[in-house]
Amino acid sequence: MTELAGENLEERYYDWAVFRRIVQYLKPYQTLALLSILLLLGSSLCQLAGPYLAKVAIDDYIAVGNLEGIDQIAWIFLSILVGGFVFQFTQTLLMQYIGQNVMKDLRRETFAHIHKMSFSFFDKNPVGKMITRTVNDVEVLNEMLTSGLILIFSDLFTLVGVFAVLFFLNWKLTVVICVIFPFLAVATHFYRVRARDALRKNRSHVTRLNTFLQENLSGMRTVQLFNRQKKQVNDFESINRAKLSEDLRALHYNAVYVPSIDVFSALGIGLVIWYGGGEFVQDQIQLGVLVAFVQYLNKLFEPIRDLAEKFNIIQSAVASSERIFELLDTPEEILDPPKVKSQKIERGKIEFRNVWFAYKKDDYVIKDISFVVNEGESLAIIGATGSGKSTLINLLCKFYEPQKGEILLDDIPLSQLSKKDARAKTSWVQQDPFIFSSDIVSNIRLGNNDIEKETIELASRSLGTDRFVNKLPDKYLNSVKEKGSSLSMGEKQLLSLTRALVFDPRILILDEATSSVDTETESMIQNAIKKLVLGRTSIIVAHRLSTIKHADKIAVLKKGELVEFGLQDDLIKQKGVYYKLINFYNHR
Amino acid sequence: MLISQLKIFISYLKAYRKEMLVGMIALILTDVIGLAIPWILKQFIDKLPSKPANEELLVFAGILGLAATFQGLFRFGWRKYIFGPSRKVEFDIVNDLFRHFLKLDSSFYQKIKIGDLLSRATNDIRSVRDFLGLGLLVLADCFVVIISCFALMIYISPKLTLMAFLPLPLISILFYLYTKKISEGHRIVQEELANISDIVQENLSGIRTLHAYGQEEIEKEKFEKQNDVYLTKNMALTKLYAIFPTSLSFFLGLATLISLWIGGKEVIAGNLTLGSFVAFNGYLLMLSWPMMGIGYVFNLSQKGASAMRRVQDIFSEQSEIKAPLQGNHKKDFQGELKFQSVSYQYSEKGFCLEEISLKIEPGQWMGVTGPIGAGKSTLFKFPLRIIDPNKGNIYLDGIPIKELPLDLLRKQIGYVEQGPFLFSATILENIAFGTDISDQKIIEEIACLAGLEPDISSFPNGLETMVGEKGVSLSGGQKQRIALARALIRKPKILILDDAFSSLDVETEEKILNNIRLLEKETTVIIIAHRVSTQRFSDQIVVIENGKISGLGSREQLETQEGYFKEISTAQSFQKGLEVFLS
Repeated sequence: MTELAGENLEERYYDWAVFRRIVQYLKPYQTLALLSILLLLGSSLCQLAGPYLAKVAIDDYIAVGNLEGIDQIAWIFLSILVGGFVFQFTQTLLMQYIGQNVMKDLRRETFAHIHKMSFSFFDKNPVGKMITRTVNDVEVLNEMLTSGLILIFSDLFTLVGVFAVLFFLNWKLTVVICVIFPFLAVATHFYRVRARDALRKNRSHVTRLNTFLQENLSGMRTVQLFNRQKKQVNDFESINRAKLSEDLRALHYNAVYVPSIDVFSALGIGLVIWYGGGEFVQDQIQLGVLVAFVQYLNKLFEPIRDLAEKFNIIQSAVASSERIFELLDTPEEILDPPKVKSQKIERGKIEFRNVWFAYKKDDYVIKDISFVVNEGESLAIIGATGSGKSTLINLLCKFYEPQKGEILLDDIPLSQLSKKDARAKTSWVQQDPFIFSSDIVSNIRLGNNDIEKETIELASRSLGTDRFVNKLPDKYLNSVKEKGSSLSMGEKQLLSLTRALVFDPRILILDEATSSVDTETESMIQNAIKKLVLGRTSIIVAHRLSTIKHADKIAVLKKGELVEFGLQDDLIKQKGVYYKLINFYNHR
Repeated sequence: MLISQLKIFISYLKAYRKEMLVGMIALILTDVIGLAIPWILKQFIDKLPSKPANEELLVFAGILGLAATFQGLFRFGWRKYIFGPSRKVEFDIVNDLFRHFLKLDSSFYQKIKIGDLLSRATNDIRSVRDFLGLGLLVLADCFVVIISCFALMIYISPKLTLMAFLPLPLISILFYLYTKKISEGHRIVQEELANISDIVQENLSGIRTLHAYGQEEIEKEKFEKQNDVYLTKNMALTKLYAIFPTSLSFFLGLATLISLWIGGKEVIAGNLTLGSFVAFNGYLLMLSWPMMGIGYVFNLSQKGASAMRRVQDIFSEQSEIKAPLQGNHKKDFQGELKFQSVSYQYSEKGFCLEEISLKIEPGQWMGVTGPIGAGKSTLFKFPLRIIDPNKGNIYLDGIPIKELPLDLLRKQIGYVEQGPFLFSATILENIAFGTDISDQKIIEEIACLAGLEPDISSFPNGLETMVGEKGVSLSGGQKQRIALARALIRKPKILILDDAFSSLDVETEEKILNNIRLLEKETTVIIIAHRVSTQRFSDQIVVIENGKISGLGSREQLETQEGYFKEISTAQSFQKGLEVFLS
């Protein structure tokens, strides 16, 4: 149970590629982004102006006792303060606006991409994972865009700006100060390499810990029934301890690095005192310049300190983006045909032509199946558990694509129809219908607001759904809880039949429920089905003889093969499997 | 309020009080040196006009360098010894929380969503940690720095101090308003984000329905709309975020401006030396961090307090299942199970079980059937004490189960559910889950007994194959059989199979049932099932309808009586025919 860690521990060094890809998302907002950078520049300049003004005040006015000059400087200072305020405020808003929009774009893209995925994708990827991608990971990425980009630009401006001012004030002193930079660079490098390693490992332990916790909370009953508590505590603590040790390691690096920057900064000030003081004594430098140097040196080290603090944020943002891009790069398995001319299915004729299908390579669960169901006919598919009945339905709905052979609707191959057109005139009633947490009306028409309330009520009345709906306090606007838990099984089935009716399909697919509901509800459902099937092509995955007897044609499946197919009477006359089945039933 | 909540967590800190003490001392020393540095600069500047010799300058630089080095050292000290314990406290709390989770019963897990529990164990505890580490630190730091800076500034010039501090109350007022609004804004944004989550969740869970009805585009629009709402709310929050730090630096700038303006004039008037003026400015700059720090702590403490409350809520939860820790240490159970007028009410108007009395003899096979929602599964959760009935008693070998320690009781009963929970571990580890058995042979035998042999031989690594996301994805039937093996390996006296074969074909089911019958002769077996064929070996079958026993007898007896069993066995015989003829 401790093996599941590995994944994130491996080193990954393509941060730059990821970063460049993120920047691509800024393209639609390039003008705004440019403006934001300009504002950033402005606000950096305003910040830099402070110590310079102090210098001017000291050297030009205080030293010579010019009171008016001080007033003047105060006014300039005030306007710079106001300017800085405006720049910084607008810049923050603008950057956030861009970040939020990029986030929205990315979410839209991820959501749309998930909807493009075929069902084999969902078989492999749990819902929770997809939610994390579209919600949490995108959120983390925004952090990277807003803090990360600002960090780079604003720090760049500050660094360059401080250097420029220092150089302008006194180039000799600036050169002297530069002595400390090689040391700083070495320290930073050491920190970066180690901290990155510790943070990465720490994050992977956090993931492990969360996975373990989630698994144990979900399976708590099993843990308790099997008296596994002690072992689970031991496992948990050992993962937690590994996390703590990386935590402390990262903390240690941080605790060494951050103070070391202060020491470097103090060394710089020491140099100013020693060398600059000497220059002052020789009248080579003004007092204000010395004071300004001290203040600017403090500003110079701010961005570097910042970087150490935000390192963690950027690291996790990179990890999140990698995960999002991995999802976005998952290719669509069932592609729509390239030149789609929208085609409507009007009659509802279904044909399977030598269809083969396997979920796993070469492990065919549908083997060479061919049959035709004409417009308005009904077909009952019968077979044992695992004979391929559901797979057949999935193929017909274009949820999967057959490896060999072809399926035709109205004589048009499915492969030439877009998924949308292929499903437009088909309604599928599932065995355990999915109910959305919304009201009755929305559950019947789904998002399709073209379907009017009158249509819904009419359909409900004709199927008998209105009987239970009218008993609800808010009738059609009554909300149904998450996963439809407040509705009984029978009610859910009636609701899903009504849903199928209002969409007025040409083809109806019905997955008959195996579990038993009470007799009264059962007969209501049977009546509803009879009405629904009328005048439509229908395919019913049947479990009851009563259902099968109403069907025009019968398809008998056995281990993925179509062993018998034909009209009721013909099959009886053939005296094959179907005949034996009926006999077995009647002479029980 | 906050203090009382802090209590528990402070008690965790106690274990690390020595480290904390070292950290605190280091912190104070860091601040003292920090305060000394502008003073050294002041001395230096005041000395400059007297043209000091190079050696004197070197002494100044040396003192400064030394001071900075020590400051760095102390700063390392507090970072390590204040943040360190906070991480260790986090470690301790998380461990204790996990231990506590293991004690809580299923009524608790039904009440609170797993996602919520997870977020309390991770995010909330992190907030607590941040408050304990950063929060207490900043609080102490601010206290020291603000008071000393203030004292030193007053020492330099009381008048200038008063003037420069004029804009500072504005910061406090601003901050107060800000935090009030920001937590509200945060809540709204979080809610909208949760709505986005919900849409994605529903979409994915119902994706088959949505795609079958071609609803992708409409769902995308819905999602887009929710994203727009989120964006709007977020921008409103951003405005708050943008205005605060910006105003903060504005007001601090204002203070600097005042000190420059008035202080400059004072210097010219000769009331202030230039060095004092520079030092004053230095202290003013030093104050900017604590000023923001107070706000930061305020925020952290708000978050921390609500996080602590949420964590404590869990700690104060108790299991409703009360069992003696020690007690009856009977070793050899026979496996006789007796229900005596057991009643249970689910919720006020929800379903209930009424006065159920039933005796199951050792080694007997008892079948249980009835419509969906009749209460069959609930009834057989009682013997394991997953839940307790409201009324009535249950006896194992004549001993009331409430008098047995939980681990002893649960060791006697094997329980297999319809949708069993498997762990992401190897198949072998999953089967050996409730035992110390590591002998591969025994596990293989059990796997064989549970009808897993053909499946395991088809897996790449056999028994060592990983289950779940990082391994093979198992079919429902495979999961059910692994769960059966997991229960059988413990040699239970009673085996409860709650619809445990629903995903198996009839043939495999028969084989497995036969194995159990032949190899585990003494085990009492309770089979809850919808499928009539599953009851082929049951000595007796009990029918439960609407919370009451509506029939009890052998299969043959029930098939001849009018009622539920006869009805379903007629309805299912066709299905049975399908299974017989077509598999």
